[in-house]
Amino acid sequence: MVLTLFLIITLTFFLVEAQPGDYASFYVLNPDLPPEVKDQIRAAFGLDRPVWQQYLIHLKNTVTGNLGVSFGNYPRPVIDVLAERVPRTLVLFLTATAVSFYIGFFLGKAIAWRRGGLFEYATTISGAVLFTAFTPAFALMMIWVFAFKLGWFPVGKFLDPLVWRGADVSANYVFGNMLLSAGAFIVFALLVMLLLKRFGRAVPSVVALPIVLGGAAVIVAAWAISGIGGLALDIVKHMVLPVATLTLISFAGTMLLTRNSMLETIREDYVMAARAKGLPDKQVRDRHAARNAMLPVVTSLVYSLIFAIDGSVIIESVFSWPGTGLTLLQAVRSEDLPLVMGAILFIGVLSLLAHVVVDVLYVYLDPRIRYQ
Amino acid sequence: MTDRRDPLLKVEGLSLSYQTRQGELQAIRDVSFELARGSALGLVGESGCGKTSVANCLMRLLPDSARLSAGRVLLDGQDILLLTEEEMRLLRWRRISMVFQAAMNVLDPVYRVGQQIVEAIETHGVESTEPAARERVARLFRLVGLDPKLTEHYPHEFSGGMRQRAVIAMALSCDPDLMIADEPTTALDVIVQDRILRELKDIQQQLAMSLIYISHDIAVVAEVTDVVGVMYAGRLVEMGDTADVFRAPAHPYTAALMSSFPSISGERRPLISLPGEPPNLSDPPQGCPFHPRCAYATDVCRVEYPPEVRAGSHRAACWHPLDATLVPQG
Repeated sequence: MVLTLFLIITLTFFLVEAQPGDYASFYVLNPDLPPEVKDQIRAAFGLDRPVWQQYLIHLKNTVTGNLGVSFGNYPRPVIDVLAERVPRTLVLFLTATAVSFYIGFFLGKAIAWRRGGLFEYATTISGAVLFTAFTPAFALMMIWVFAFKLGWFPVGKFLDPLVWRGADVSANYVFGNMLLSAGAFIVFALLVMLLLKRFGRAVPSVVALPIVLGGAAVIVAAWAISGIGGLALDIVKHMVLPVATLTLISFAGTMLLTRNSMLETIREDYVMAARAKGLPDKQVRDRHAARNAMLPVVTSLVYSLIFAIDGSVIIESVFSWPGTGLTLLQAVRSEDLPLVMGAILFIGVLSLLAHVVVDVLYVYLDPRIRYQ
Repeated sequence: MTDRRDPLLKVEGLSLSYQTRQGELQAIRDVSFELARGSALGLVGESGCGKTSVANCLMRLLPDSARLSAGRVLLDGQDILLLTEEEMRLLRWRRISMVFQAAMNVLDPVYRVGQQIVEAIETHGVESTEPAARERVARLFRLVGLDPKLTEHYPHEFSGGMRQRAVIAMALSCDPDLMIADEPTTALDVIVQDRILRELKDIQQQLAMSLIYISHDIAVVAEVTDVVGVMYAGRLVEMGDTADVFRAPAHPYTAALMSSFPSISGERRPLISLPGEPPNLSDPPQGCPFHPRCAYATDVCRVEYPPEVRAGSHRAACWHPLDATLVPQG
């Protein structure tokens, strides 16, 4: 883990170092920067020193959390820019991944269980078409249909300046509160599910949905009262189209994988045994076949998550969504090198975290791992 | 009402085929037998002779490619082949349960063993509360010689023998009238196999449950069962009391099967392996399906399927029965 992180930092440094337009000369010759900043940066980054020393200092700075100052956003430090952009990317892609995983798993399970028929062909073919579609073209098509022709959603960007004119709170403040609400809601829903599981026999599981919906209603009501609900709604509106596009592109992967995995577990003896035990069809499918078919799908989830974040460069550019991907692209274009390195580092760290999360999830899902 | 003396299970003229790419495969042809309450029936034969297909018919767990072309399966006089899928589901495990072939993978790896048995008990409402169901599982575990603490363990923590015991406990969990054991001990070593077999027999007699025991090992079948049926190429070629059949086999196939297994108590003799292969079921030979491998085959065997010969409950389908006391009826 630490070793991987070290490798990421090292590789990023030397790849950026190897780019045309020398790192050091770029700093010194940049006409946009006042001389005192040049001195400050030179001191902080040690640009007059040989490469190996620069590397060691860069390593030290990164470890202590000092990623330097962004040129394009001068005088904001890189870490500050990323702190603003990273949550936007995460929200976009975590939502899309969660939705596409859910839809893909649900559909894959269903088409494997009832093989043949129009439904299977329709979902498989449309899923495969979307999966192989050229992402930018498809995203543009979505914008053309839903934003331009139908006018349901805004064309792009994070928010609508007209709505926000005269607002006395910053977008980051509203967005931060939205994240808090979403987090609170997820924790609440999980708690309800956990409690119901514990006392499941005393309380019928039908009550779960009204309770969770009630929680959602309370949060929505709180937003409506707060007076900044309209602003939050504006952000949500801007989110719908990119999330939908990402979901449509990626659900097919989960669906086809689930289907294949299901077709394998259906042949397993324990599924036959579950049927022989006289369990209802749905219980055989969900509790036995799909539960085991889920294991390889979860493994693939980590890769699809990383790919999704890599792909954020494309999607965020098309939708002008000011997240990490767009930031990275703009930083590369304007040779804002500290920001480039910071953004790449972030993607690397995120991949590492995704791996850890899936490892933990896997231990929870497969008891065979626990004892090894 | 059903009479206690009526047979529990009556299979009449059962025929089953599978649709395959090579055409129609006749897995079972015209199989008939009866099983009395509390008695044990053995089905023996080589691999692919249709033993497991018979078991799957009784549970009605057949793949989509299977087609039941004829026959009735009467459980207490009721034809289970005519039940709706939902009625059949409620009957499974409650009336007929099964110990599967290759029991190693019958337990779902992601759930605790006890939970998987509780699941069956709750589905059929055998116990009304969860603690009662758990208590029942603990009792079953003691019955099959497992520590009740093991109910909280996962299948991968069990040895092969322990899993097989757990699977037997699972099959007993809803007090079935009939338990089908399909090669339950094949994957185990001989010592564990022998112990489990003896326990199975004990439990069957203790609970007065009927048992169908499917195996290719005639020594095991001779030990466990009261009645035995010998299957060849989807047909039941010989049937009778286990003692009668193995003392004086009438069908040459039964005799060949016996001479290919060593006898522990009997005299030393060379083992004779049966030459040739079982016939291709999608294109079975004309006449008696055994004639290409039979030492006694004559012209009539190659043309016409043999009539049934019988003496009491002992019956066989052969033109030249080895035991001459078996004669054609009517």
